Amino acid sequence: MKGNAQSTAAGKRYFFLLIIGILLACLIMSLPLYTVTVGIFTKKSSNTFVGDEKYQEVLAEVEEVEKQYRDQGMEVEISEDVTVRTNSKGEETSLVAFTISQTMNKNVWSFLSSGMPSARVLYIMLFCMAAAVILAFAGCAGTMNTAVKELPGRCRRLRSLSCFFLLIDMLLVPVFILMNNYLFWRKTSLYQADLVTEGRDEWYGILDSFLFQGRMGEEAGNALKNLNVSHSPLLWVLLLCFGIALAGCAGLRFGALERPFLRFLLYLFVITICVITLYPYYVMLITAFRSNSEALDMYFLHLLPTKWVWKNLSDIIERGVPQFLANSLMIAGGATGLAMLCGIPAAFAMARMNFLGKKFFLGFVIMSQMFSPVVLLIGISQLMSTLGLNDNIWGLIFVNAAFNQAFAIWLLRGTFISISPEMEQAARIDGCSTIGSLIRILLPMAAPGIVTTLIFVFINAWNEYTISTVLITTASKKPITVGITQFSSFNMIEWQYLFAASLLATIPVVILFMFIEKHLTSGLTSGGVKG
Amino acid sequence: MIKNNGKKWWVPYLWLLPSIILISVFVVFPILIVFRLSFSEISKAGVVGGFAGFKNYIDAVHLPAFRTVMINTFWWVISVVGLSTLLGFIIAMVMNQKFRGRKIARSILIFPWATSLVIQASVWNYIIKYEYGSLNSVLLNLGIIKNAINWRSSYQIEFIWECAVGIFVTIPFVTFCVLSGLQSIDESLYESARVDGAGFWNRLFSITLPLVRPSLSVSTVLNIIYVFNSFPIIYTMTKGAPANKTDTMITYLYMLNFYDRKKGPANALSVIGFLILCLCSGIYMITVMRKEDEA
Repeated sequence: MKGNAQSTAAGKRYFFLLIIGILLACLIMSLPLYTVTVGIFTKKSSNTFVGDEKYQEVLAEVEEVEKQYRDQGMEVEISEDVTVRTNSKGEETSLVAFTISQTMNKNVWSFLSSGMPSARVLYIMLFCMAAAVILAFAGCAGTMNTAVKELPGRCRRLRSLSCFFLLIDMLLVPVFILMNNYLFWRKTSLYQADLVTEGRDEWYGILDSFLFQGRMGEEAGNALKNLNVSHSPLLWVLLLCFGIALAGCAGLRFGALERPFLRFLLYLFVITICVITLYPYYVMLITAFRSNSEALDMYFLHLLPTKWVWKNLSDIIERGVPQFLANSLMIAGGATGLAMLCGIPAAFAMARMNFLGKKFFLGFVIMSQMFSPVVLLIGISQLMSTLGLNDNIWGLIFVNAAFNQAFAIWLLRGTFISISPEMEQAARIDGCSTIGSLIRILLPMAAPGIVTTLIFVFINAWNEYTISTVLITTASKKPITVGITQFSSFNMIEWQYLFAASLLATIPVVILFMFIEKHLTSGLTSGGVKG
Repeated sequence: MIKNNGKKWWVPYLWLLPSIILISVFVVFPILIVFRLSFSEISKAGVVGGFAGFKNYIDAVHLPAFRTVMINTFWWVISVVGLSTLLGFIIAMVMNQKFRGRKIARSILIFPWATSLVIQASVWNYIIKYEYGSLNSVLLNLGIIKNAINWRSSYQIEFIWECAVGIFVTIPFVTFCVLSGLQSIDESLYESARVDGAGFWNRLFSITLPLVRPSLSVSTVLNIIYVFNSFPIIYTMTKGAPANKTDTMITYLYMLNFYDRKKGPANALSVIGFLILCLCSGIYMITVMRKEDEA
């Protein structure tokens, strides 16, 4: 059993990989990742020059205090800060400030016990880590010598679960770092600048217990004034460690796979792509529910809005967004209907009949598809004013229908050709007319293709922007894509309204697109045309 | 095929008629209008005068921003189409693998395609704002940067951002085109290649690329046309500012016609753009027709 032996060896290797990853993660969490410097004693002495009598006096005093701190078993350091100024009389004065600062190195574990809000994430991470290890052990118990293929389902499930927990861990690392930085860096600097008074005592208490084991009490507030935090980028290495562990875990679970590391990379790639793709949508979502001041706040960093401002929605409803949506619906619906009404007969003729100039017509259709309306913008606006369709929804319906004609015909023709004409011929023999056989036989059979085309044309018309900006000037006739621009004027953009309206415009279309996603690939092969 | 035995010869044309009318009136007519206007004298108010010869074209070429705009258009098309084709191809190769959550990943990937370009451009516009942009705030809070970075410090950089957004929204189309080509490739080809000892690169160049080439060329040519015509991204993000330095031909002719009221040169530019597109579509037609003949 060569395969079996190989798989066993691989199983052990992955098991070690998992353990190593977890151990490394634990090790990193025990390292002093936070370096905190706090000035606990400050002595300022004016009119003092470095090295003079007064200087020596004060220095001795400060050293005395330092000794007291050292006796308490604290690690302290004296630093001096000299400021030289020229006063109004033109004399030079100098201010020497001595600071006794305490440098503390804290690891993640002491962070955990402090009751810091982001420690909750850490708790979840630890729980997941523990669960992953336990499940991996349980899943491997007594099965190390069995090839993965022959494992009982129970073991596989346990290992999958373990994998899942590690993945959560991995995804939580950035969240943890984010919250951490937010709390320490932002909150501390806000308090130092005396910008926030609310919840101040609570924050003191938390910092006190984290930094001084609660010894500072009242003084924590003063200490905070001189707090300087830096944390090591080593925290990011946690991600790597969990990655290694995850790769090991994946190896245990999918041992049958040829190269699990490649597979791991594949997942990493896919996840990265998905995250980048979803990022704008995430920004759109959270901004849509933020208040204006929060939307313009650089240091805003919560995964979700602190307070969901549903009022944004009612505000945009008052400002005409339902009207825009209705207009868009009318334009897109009308254009789709018209495009199908003209497209289905044409596609039917192209698929089922022989006539002179068929190839020419095909070329004509493809050609017409080449010209996006934008390059002909001026011509179209001129035409519309001639026809009296300027500033009229019907104008947009016609233009959208015409410019989507090519795609509709092309896609429908492909669908019709793929359906054999025998059924229609049979119906014809039974006395059905051509139109009757088209409606009763062909259309129901071609339903998937027709729905795909329908949705595609609808989406194109819904998302159309350029022509609408040119043709529509009355506010009440604007489609949503043009309507949202009213929230952004030259000097001020009301982002929260802009994105709330965008959200309403995007959601239905994305859902529709997901419906046709499956047909889209086959449609593109047969049609080779973008709408 | 249904034979037209005993039927009038014009029946098929009757079926085509609505479609032909629609396309003629709303696609062909504007083309003719633009052509006519480009050879006529037009006043600022839009009153059309007599025949002007090539005056409008000469004016258009001598516009101060003409050179910049043409160069911008060139880079815009080349960079967006080139990079999105490359990246889209790579993503399609990955998406063609069998892995869990493939369906979800593909649904997510389709998002940018389904979203209106104005909305995409607005969101990115917000993300890269200096004062409160989301990108700065995320990076700051992650501790990756210490001070906020001005992501749009000069117009060149802004133009690069516009290209990046263009690439971002174009990738899904390329990916799905290539994916449709990839899925039609017979798995056994790879099997036999592997038996013969062909490596990854070998398989890529001798099996995948030749077989995907038709869908790749279709997507490339279509992308050239659509990217060339793309208006909302640049219009939303910079409006061509400063001084047409980030304009492409389409946004420029829009500004020229509707803001500066230089209708003559705008029409001439429109025709120039139209002719460029004709060239591209000619190539495209040949490709499609050849594919059609093969099928």
